[in-house]
Parts: sequence; structure tokens; C-alpha cells
Amino acid sequence: MAYRVLIVDDSPAMRAFVRRVMELSGFELSACFEASNGQEALDLLRREWVDAILTDVNMPVVDGEEFLRRLGHDELLRSIPALVISTDATESRIARMMSLGARGYVTKPFLPEALRRELEGTLGVPCD
Amino acid sequence: MTDTRLRQALAESLDEVLEKMFFVRSLGELAGPAAGPVTAAHLTFEGDPPGSLTLRMTPAAARSVAADFLGEEEAELSPRQIGEVVCELANMICGSVLSRVERNTTFRLSAPRLVASGEEGEPPGEPGVTDGVPAVPVNATTYATEIGSGAITVIFNTETPAWSTAEKSEC
Repeated sequence: MAYRVLIVDDSPAMRAFVRRVMELSGFELSACFEASNGQEALDLLRREWVDAILTDVNMPVVDGEEFLRRLGHDELLRSIPALVISTDATESRIARMMSLGARGYVTKPFLPEALRRELEGTLGVPCD
Repeated sequence: MTDTRLRQALAESLDEVLEKMFFVRSLGELAGPAAGPVTAAHLTFEGDPPGSLTLRMTPAAARSVAADFLGEEEAELSPRQIGEVVCELANMICGSVLSRVERNTTFRLSAPRLVASGEEGEPPGEPGVTDGVPAVPVNATTYATEIGSGAITVIFNTETPAWSTAEKSEC
């Protein structure tokens, strides 16, 4: 099955890396959208449906926490599983993001297989 | 935290980030920063304590790690792409160091900015290149390492000594 994914990160390099890691690990993408902050992501989600969201935390305009909070308040968007990718490995941050509805959390740096495992867990299906 | 322990944290963070995200191995510590032009990124962080991190790389090292990160040929990379990767590398190293130094403190990192591109013939006023590489603060902790393509130096500075909460409670 091919998935539609949204990558939210203010670093263009990181967005390209995540996309590349997903493709190299055999994760089939039918569409891959990108946004540089939570507001751009929300605007995009009003036009496009995705199967999963991979989001950073520290971003300008609307950061990852506020982004998840707004997703959770939207009856339609709250069903989209979100995976957090962040340099912040503190327990308080991880707990906070999970309490806001994140289905998984990957700390940078990460091995490509770790991202794939977390993405599988977030989607609830194995990737072949 | 002693300077020795902080240098260890810098070394471990740099090694881990390079290996996991860039598939690059450090060849060992250098006695000091490499001379000559550098590609450099700088960011600050808010927290307890606040501070900054500067990442300096020889231009060849910056180009090489950017190619590894993006999966592109070195010759195909633009200065902007290289700068973006150097900034992201600085961001990841800083986050990793802070997680090792202060496990229970939430920090907020600024967006890294490229302060030197290291490219010859760069026109003045290039976006992202502002006022040059910050001078090394007197109390900063520095760690330099060599990779196959060049040298990387991390300069970590806090406004107060970076103590863990465990050490604070013992005082």
C-alpha cells in the first residue's frame, strides 16, 4: 500500500533527509507533502488528505506543540496519526507531545531503521 | 559540570550525530580548530542555563557531509543546500549535547543561522551570511575532530556553568 505523508519541519535539509530515508527504507509513498511550520501544515491539510504526519517541535509561526493541539481540536484532522521527530529527548517534552496526541516520538539523531519502525508503529501496519 | 565532562558530551554528541545521520566516522580529536576559511553555523538556546553553540567546518567537510545527508553528488550541491545541512548539523549536535548535560530541563533552540559560507568568490550580502563567525567566548568549551574530508569544531558556551540538577541539589 502506498501512503500519503506530510513532513513538517523548518529545515529544508531535514525534510529532504526524512523523505529520502522513507524512500530508501522501502516505504511506498504515493504523495509526500512538505510544510515549514505548523500553520503551513494546517493550511495544506485543508486541501489535501494524508495518512500520516511527521512533525518537528521547534518551528516558527506555529510550533509542533501548538500544531498537535490544533490537530486535536479538529474533528476530522485529529484522526491522522502524527509522529514527532525532534532533537529534544527530555522526558517532559516526550510526555507532553504524546499527551497532545502524538502516536510516536523519534529523537535526532536516529538510524533510518528506527524511523521506519516508529512510522510502522504510528500507522499501525507493517511496511513491506 | 567540569569542562572535561562537557568536552566528552560534545565528543559523544558529534560522533553519534555524524554516524547515525551522516554515516561518517570521526578519525580522532584535533589539537585545535583548523586554520583557513570555514563554513560555520551558530545558534542560541534558552533554558537553565542559556547559551550558544557554534559549528565550524572546513568547506570540504561541509560539502562532503551535505552530500552524504542529501544523497547528492558533491558537485551538484548549491551553497544554499550546504548551508542548510550545516545548520541542521549544528541543531542536532546542540540538542544532543543539551540532552546529555541537562536531562530534565527543557531547552528552546533558536533557528540556526549560517554565519560563514567558506566558499571562495562569494558575493557580499549573501542571504544567511551575516556578521562572520562569532569570536570564541573566553569560557567556551571547544572540541575539534577530523573526518575524512576535513575538520569539524564545536564551540559550546553557557552563560553560567552547565550543571545538572543532581549536582545542584548537592550544593
